Amino acid sequence: MKKLLQKIAKKSPWLYRINAGSCNGCDVELATTACIPRYDVERLGCKYCGSPKHADIVLITGPLTARVKEKVLRLYDEIPDPKVTVAIGVCPISGGVFRDSYAISGPIDNFIPVDVNVPGCPPRPQAIIDGIVEAIKIWETRL
Amino acid sequence: MSSFLKIAIRNLLKGPSTDPYPYGETFVPKGLRGKIKYNAKACVACRMCEHVCAGGAIQIREVSDKSGLEFILWHNTCAFCGLCEHYCPTKAIRLTEDYHTAHRQEDKYRYVEKGFIKYVPCASCGTPMVPTAPELLNVAYDNVNKDIERLSKLCSKCRKEKVCG
Ligand code: SF4
Ligand code: SF4
Ligand code: SF4
Repeated sequence: MKKLLQKIAKKSPWLYRINAGSCNGCDVELATTACIPRYDVERLGCKYCGSPKHADIVLITGPLTARVKEKVLRLYDEIPDPKVTVAIGVCPISGGVFRDSYAISGPIDNFIPVDVNVPGCPPRPQAIIDGIVEAIKIWETRL
Repeated sequence: MSSFLKIAIRNLLKGPSTDPYPYGETFVPKGLRGKIKYNAKACVACRMCEHVCAGGAIQIREVSDKSGLEFILWHNTCAFCGLCEHYCPTKAIRLTEDYHTAHRQEDKYRYVEKGFIKYVPCASCGTPMVPTAPELLNVAYDNVNKDIERLSKLCSKCRKEKVCG
């Protein structure tokens, strides 16, 4: 039974989204990737979920602002292991145009182990899909 | 009811509107600002791109053996704004339409565009200098004659002496 579950779970990782203080540009692209039929991310076998407890692959946007840092880290800890982390946009990866600002605590990989980076400001939906495909490959090895 | 049927039939005939990517080809809108390509041969090291760069992604610095200048652009902090291309006098820096930016964490700091400008000796005194790209001469002069060609091979000091005496 456990084996069967593992086999199924490999094919259907659930996605969860954390906004770590993004300008919303990347979130709009994420919503586009997920919610409109043109890009339909569910073709890859994944599905967005509303609770961190159900998540397998976590997509993070935003530069990790000082105000939101503690909340993001708490949320991240609620996601059960194993998990795969994808940084969407240049903000979480390096701080992007907000780098060196007093208001941000990022880059995010100082606090959270990141697996895949998708730079862009914002990246287009196809690039985000590339990142999710990469994350699914990692997910299959972790399970 | 009939209008609903009309829409249903029209959609059936039209086929799926889902973009086949990643299983098939996708479209690339003209002018999409993707990964950056740098051409060291056309670069005159004016550092304008470094100055205007919104994300602070560009660094131009002299290499340790002082044989030339190294250009490094880190895509992971580039906002793909296109300012560098816009202000580059010789268009040595350009944005391509390549949007495939996803990469693993271990490649984070290797996700760069690099180039090297090798100094050439001044034709008169031999001081190492950044070679003058023909692209710059074409921007500056309608007609590049032999005199200008000769001057472009000189360092700024020798050029000053030659022109101003
Ligand atoms: S990467 Fe650009 S678009 Fe995305 S959240 Fe940061 S500033 Fe906004
Ligand atoms: S596109 Fe903008 S952010 Fe990227 S290197 Fe050019 S000027 Fe810098
Ligand atoms: S790439 Fe263009 S703007 Fe940048 S230093 Fe070279 S010539 Fe100047």
